[in-house]
Order: sequence, then structure tokens, then C-alpha cells
Amino acid sequence: MKKILVADDEMSIRLLYSEELKEEGYEVYLAANGREALDIVAKVPLDLVILDIKMPEMDGIEALRQIKERQPDLPVLLSTAYGEYRQDFATWASDEYLVKSSDLDDLKAAVKRYLKD
Amino acid sequence: MATERIAFLTQMVEVFTSTVSFGERLNNLVHLLARYLKVDLALYFGLDKARETLILNLSSQGPVPPHLRVEFPLGQGLVGEVAKTRKFKTVQRGQPGVLAANQALEKLHPAFVTLAGFPVADDNFFYGVLLFADRLERHFTSTERQNTHLANLMLAGTLRQALLQEEAKKRIAELSVLFEVGKALSSTVELDVLLERVVTTTAKVISARGAALQIIDGVTKEVRISSQYGEIPLSCPSPTAILATPASPGELPFLQGQEANAAGQIHYFLAVPLTFKGQLQGTICVYDKFAANGGYLSFDPENRQLLYTMAGLIVNAIENALTFKQVETLAEKNERMVRNLTVLQVISRALLTTVQEERLQEIILQGLTLEQGLGFDRAVVLLVDEANQTLKGIKGALRSPELKNVPLFEALVSPLAAEMKMEDWQIPLRSDQGPLALTVLQKRPYHIQGIAVEALSRALPADFIASEFFVVPLMAKDRTTGVIMVDNGASGRPLEEEPLHVLQMFSTHAGLVVENAHLYSTIEANNRELLLIRERMLESDRLAALSSLASGMAHEIRNPLVSIGGFARRIAKMVDEKSPLRGYVEVIQEEVTRLEKLLREILDFTGENLSFYGDHDLNRLLEDTLLLVQRDLDAYKIKVVKDFSDLPRLHCDDRQIKQVFYNLFQNALQAMSQGGVLNIRTYTLEREDGLYEAAAITDTGGGIPLEVLHNIFNPFFSTKDYGTGLGLAIAQRIVSRHYGQVEVNNELGKGVTFIVSLPVAKYCLVKDPGHGAAQASTLKAPKGGGR
Repeated sequence: MKKILVADDEMSIRLLYSEELKEEGYEVYLAANGREALDIVAKVPLDLVILDIKMPEMDGIEALRQIKERQPDLPVLLSTAYGEYRQDFATWASDEYLVKSSDLDDLKAAVKRYLKD
Repeated sequence: MATERIAFLTQMVEVFTSTVSFGERLNNLVHLLARYLKVDLALYFGLDKARETLILNLSSQGPVPPHLRVEFPLGQGLVGEVAKTRKFKTVQRGQPGVLAANQALEKLHPAFVTLAGFPVADDNFFYGVLLFADRLERHFTSTERQNTHLANLMLAGTLRQALLQEEAKKRIAELSVLFEVGKALSSTVELDVLLERVVTTTAKVISARGAALQIIDGVTKEVRISSQYGEIPLSCPSPTAILATPASPGELPFLQGQEANAAGQIHYFLAVPLTFKGQLQGTICVYDKFAANGGYLSFDPENRQLLYTMAGLIVNAIENALTFKQVETLAEKNERMVRNLTVLQVISRALLTTVQEERLQEIILQGLTLEQGLGFDRAVVLLVDEANQTLKGIKGALRSPELKNVPLFEALVSPLAAEMKMEDWQIPLRSDQGPLALTVLQKRPYHIQGIAVEALSRALPADFIASEFFVVPLMAKDRTTGVIMVDNGASGRPLEEEPLHVLQMFSTHAGLVVENAHLYSTIEANNRELLLIRERMLESDRLAALSSLASGMAHEIRNPLVSIGGFARRIAKMVDEKSPLRGYVEVIQEEVTRLEKLLREILDFTGENLSFYGDHDLNRLLEDTLLLVQRDLDAYKIKVVKDFSDLPRLHCDDRQIKQVFYNLFQNALQAMSQGGVLNIRTYTLEREDGLYEAAAITDTGGGIPLEVLHNIFNPFFSTKDYGTGLGLAIAQRIVSRHYGQVEVNNELGKGVTFIVSLPVAKYCLVKDPGHGAAQASTLKAPKGGGR
């Protein structure tokens, strides 16, 4: 079973994403900020990470940078309420940049692309 | 006897103490002696000035008529003998030789028998002889002789007194003459008038028939008569001839003599040299002294003395006049200089009234040509065209005659009356291109005349050529920015040295002013650009503020909307299709979707993808961006070589494209911090998907090391040796948003070429490239950059 980490400070979003992804047959780990996300990345052999950008303590961009430094091959998707971070070159290191939507089809399609096999 | 003697002495004292004139006293004495000695006749013979002849002065029988003029040379006759021996002597007619020797006396006393001569002398001077004649044979007693001798002593005293008095009178007269001359000399400083007066006064004082002043010309060494008075019967002795005359030691040189003129008449002359600061300067010469009887006399030592005095005065006068003339010349020169400086000052004041290059050129031309300015007939300004290495005609002018009486400042700022057309004047800046090019190249003024004018005529239109020109360079710091050329061809006045100096002073100032105006206009252009940029920044700041407010709110809403909508969808999936709940959930779902769409639109509008697309000229964008790095280019001494082609308009966000070029220039600058060449080429190229325009930016910074080359577009990649890396990533991203490409052509050891190619406007009409990124499959964008 593929392991996915979802990091978002909004509890409701974490719940929605985990419910939807579990339904798709993935094992879902949850983190409320970047630091928690890095802890899980360090302990669990993950297959994919979904990061929110605006989070307390450590934001998604810093988390992305550190994850890519340690595990360049681990796919990281950014899922954010903000479109403008797309201008920030630091986000270009992510494998996908997704603006949050209540319709999770795009997100699920992207996840599927990276976890095809 | 004693009473007789006392009576005689008393009478004698009375005669000598009487207040009557000297001549009268002498007369009375002669009478008194004649009566006392009881002789027929008493005569007084005075020794003349030459001390050679004794001349009858007085007779006891009254005044001596001119035809009874009697004189004895020294030693001749009794009179001459007494004068010579200075001893009393008496002779009788019968004695041998007496009659023969004294025959002249028969005119006065035809029957004289006894003659007695008494010398009139004091201790050191002999004056004359008193002679007594009687028809009887007479002998004089010792008392008579003693009394007569006493009378003679007193007579000698009186004569001495008279001589001294005469001498004093003469001295006073001389002094007053000198005073008059001095007055004349100080009354005027015109040398010619002064010399005339000196010569006239000299002749009059000496009572000469004529006088002449000769001066040696300082340059030609020719001797010429500079002033004269009266008649000049003989030619003047030359100054050197006078100096050649042997003079006795302690005496000043002079030349004196007599000569016969062409008609055989004898004339006298006296000449003394004029020496000034030890140098022989000329001669002053007098001719023929008037005698009392209407004849001419030779000159005496007193005349010579006076002539020396006059010569001294003349030398002083000449010296004074020369000094004065020098002072005057100097003052005149100063006055001209002050005038010139005043003119220059007014012109520079006028030049301060504007910074427009064209107005400045007009003021400069007015200043050069106005009568009340520098006064040249015509003036032209040519400026150096650095790009084409030519000297180009800018503007020329003739004098504006209607401004003749207008005050200088006002006239300077008036428009030019007759402007010359000279746009087609183009002179290559090579040393074989005549004097104008040389003026620029050698940075020095030229006075073009003769053969140089011929060289000039090859470069300029024939109708412009005059006989001579002044050309001066316009200098700004150490560069020649142009030349000013002037001439006086219209009036034919010659060009003098002094105006050339003034012109040089003028051109130094004018050069700086023109350069300042040029710099000012550049600064002004830069300022306009900065202002524009600032305005845009302000505009984008306003939009950004609005956008951040709106987007802040929108984002706050988006998260809960996602949750609401997401869970609504989950509920919808779980609720049976027939349940009434299904409809309610679908309403929630639809409303959320509608709100999400609205949010997207708001965020789009407020700036998430805010851009300034328009049609722009790529060359212009490159030029604008170059201005931003101009300072660094100058500081690093980087030469920019532009090779721009005509390009179609490009549809793009000009700010972003400028950012691309800015980043690429920054990279090039950092690679060439020790100097180099920045080559910028623009061109169009046809590709499969259409027409592109490209800018190739090449530096000479040595190229990018191979080990880092593949990383340069990586946003996380940075090396201190070659740029920041971030700049290239951003450039890459912007270009890809414009559906363009950035290519690198690395020549290790030489430099790097970055080629930015962008599709031409008509192929790129999508407003927001962000939404169309999926179509841009041909892009060489970095991972994630194109979404």
C-alpha cells in the first residue's frame, strides 16, 4: 500500500484529504506543519507528499526544500489556497503545484500519475 | 692844497655813493677827474670780453658818437701798453713813435701834447684804462697821481659790482628761461609737441637763427630731423661725428665751427649729442647767433652750457614720453582686455539662461558675431559625431545688423537674423581631412590662411571660403566635442592675434556649457525613464495593495470552502439518489463551486497573474534596459556593440522582458568586471511554428565552466564565480511564459552567448500565458516552471 503524507494546518482539510485518499486505497499520514511533516518523512518510507504552503512553525516551501535535499526522488505536490506562490522560484522544485479546490479530482489525478505502478 | 684834495675826495665819495645808475656814476667820475687834473679830456677804455681789445666807453665830453669808435689792441698805443703793464704812464707828443702809436686819439683831441694812462684794476682783475689828454705839456704830481689811483680803485670796485650785477641778472634771466622751458615740458606729454617747444625755446634763448633736433630711429638706426625751428642753413653734424670729436678731459663732447653754404655765406653752428641711458639718441644743433649789429656771431661756452641743459631736458622728456606711451599702451591693452572679459562675462551669463543645446548654439553664434560681442563677421559651429567619427555642421550665422544698438545681453538672447544651412557639412575625423579635422584631433586652435585655406576649400562649399579663418576646438574636459570657426570675410578686416586669444577663452567656456547641456539632456532622458518606472511601480504598488487585501480575504474563504465543498461531495456520494438530502447537498456543492469560480476571477483580476501586455519594440526594450546598467558598464569599462535589425512589434509584458535582459546583462557584467565587450544582436528567425525575434547577448567573460553549465537554469543553483543563478532561472521562467526560449552558447575561454527568442505578436495573442501553459509543449522550461 502506497504511503502518502498530507501536511496542512487546517484540520478540516487534513480530514477531507485523508478520507478521500484512503478511499482511493492509500495509507495516509497527517502533519499539521512543516516540522511534523519532516519528522514523518524521516521515519516513514513514503511514496508521495502533499504539502500546504502557509503553515505555522515551518511552511511548505521550507519543508519542500528540505525534503528535496534529502530525498530528491520523493514526489512532492504543493496544494495551496494561493496561486501567486507559483511565481516564487522556490516552489518550482515541487513536482506539481495545485490550487486547492473542493473538487479533488485534479489532486487525485496527480497523485495517481506519480504513483502509477 | 689839502683843502683842494679834501674837496676832490668829498666829491668822489659823493659820486660813488650817489643813487644814479652805474653808467651815470662812471660818467660823473670821468668829469670829476678831468676837472681835478685840469686836463682837456678824460676817456675810459674798457677791456672787451675776449680780453684782447680796449674799446672806448666813455668821454668827459659827453656820449661817444658811433663814428668816433676807437679801440686799441692789447699792447698797442699808450692805452694798450698801460693795459698790458697795468702801470701808470705818460707820454709827450714829441717823443718818438708816440704820435704814430696813438694817432687814433687825434679823432678825439687833434692837438693833444700830453697823454697819461692809468690802469683801472683791483687786486685780481683788470677792467680798463683811464686816459687823460691835454694840449699843454703836463706833469702830474704824486698827490694827483695818488688821488687818481684812489679814484681808479673805487672805479674798479664799481665796475666789479656792475659786472656781478650783470652776471646775476643774466643768471636770473637764464633761470627764468629754464623755468619757462620746464613749464613747457611739463605742460604736455605729446612728445612731438614737446620737442618742438624745446627746440624753439632753445633757439630763442640762445638767440640763434635756427635750431634742429635729430633723433636716431630705434629700429632702422637712421638719423632724421624730428623737429626744427627757424632756418637751417647747414646740414646737421651726425651724432657719431660729435662723439668722434676729441674733447678735453672732464668736458662733454660737442662740435662747433663755421662753414660756407652753397652760396658762399659763412654760417656758424654748435651741436651737442643726446644720450639716453648711455645710448646715443641724437643731436641738438643751433645755427648762427644774432649779433646786435644784425650780423652773425659764433657761439660761446655759455651757449654750449645752455645747449647741454636743453639736451638733458630733451632726453628726460623723451624718456618721460616713452614711459608714458608705454603706460598708455598698457592701459589701452588693459582696457581692451577688460572689455573682452566683460563681453565674455555677459555671454556666459546669457549661456546660463538655457540648457537647450540649440538655444546655446544660437547664443554662442550671436556672441561671436555681434558688433558689441566678439565682432566677427561670420561664425559656424561644428560638432563631433562620435558614432560616425565625423565633424558635422550644426549651425552658422552672419552678424545681425538690426541688433547693433541693442544691449549685449538682450542681443545675445535674440533669435539669429541670418542662419546658415550647413547640414550637409560632413568632415571625416582623419588627419588628412584638412584643418578642421586637425583642430579636433590635435585639440589646438588654427589660424587658417594661405595654403591651409585651399585644404579647407576641398571640404567646404566654395561660396563659404574666405581668405582666412580662426578655428578653435570646443573642449569638454579632455575631449574635443566640436569646433568654432570664424572669419571676417564680409568686411575684409584682417584677423588679429588678440581676438584669437579671446576666442580661445570663449571656446573653453562654450565647450563646457555645450557639454553640460548635452549631459543635462541625457540626465533628463534618464529622469524621464526613471519617472516612468516609478509611476509604473506606484501603479503596481496600488494594485498590489488592493490585490493583497482582496487575495487575503479570498484565501481565508478558500480553505473553508474547500472543506465545505469537499465534504458536501462526500456526503452526496453516500446519500441515496432518491433521498431528499441529495438535492440539498447538491445545492451546497453547486454554491461552493460558484463561489470558488468567483474567487478565481477575483484573484485573477487583483493580481495573481497581473501582467502588462502590450505591443513593444524589442530593440527599444534592450536600449531601455541598457540605460539601467549604464553606470556599471562605464565603471567596468565595458564597451557595448549594438547590431540591431528592424523588428516587428512584439506582444509581451515589457516589464518582464526588461527583467530578462536586466538579469542577462547583470550576469555579463559580473563576468566582465575587469572590462570587455558586450555584443547585442537582434534578428528575426523563422521556425516551424512561426516567426520569432531574437536577442543574442554575448559577453567576453571567459565562458561558464563545463561542470556548472548544466545547472545554470536551476533555481537552487548558485555560484559565486558566475552570476547568481537565480537571475537566469527567473529569466528562463519569464521567457517561457511568453512561449519563448532561452538558449546558451558557451565558448569556454571566450565568453557566453544567451539567445532569447520570442514569438512575434500575431502568434502570441493569449492574455494569460499561465492558463495556456499546457499548449506550450515546445518550451524548454525547467521542471515545474511551466506548470
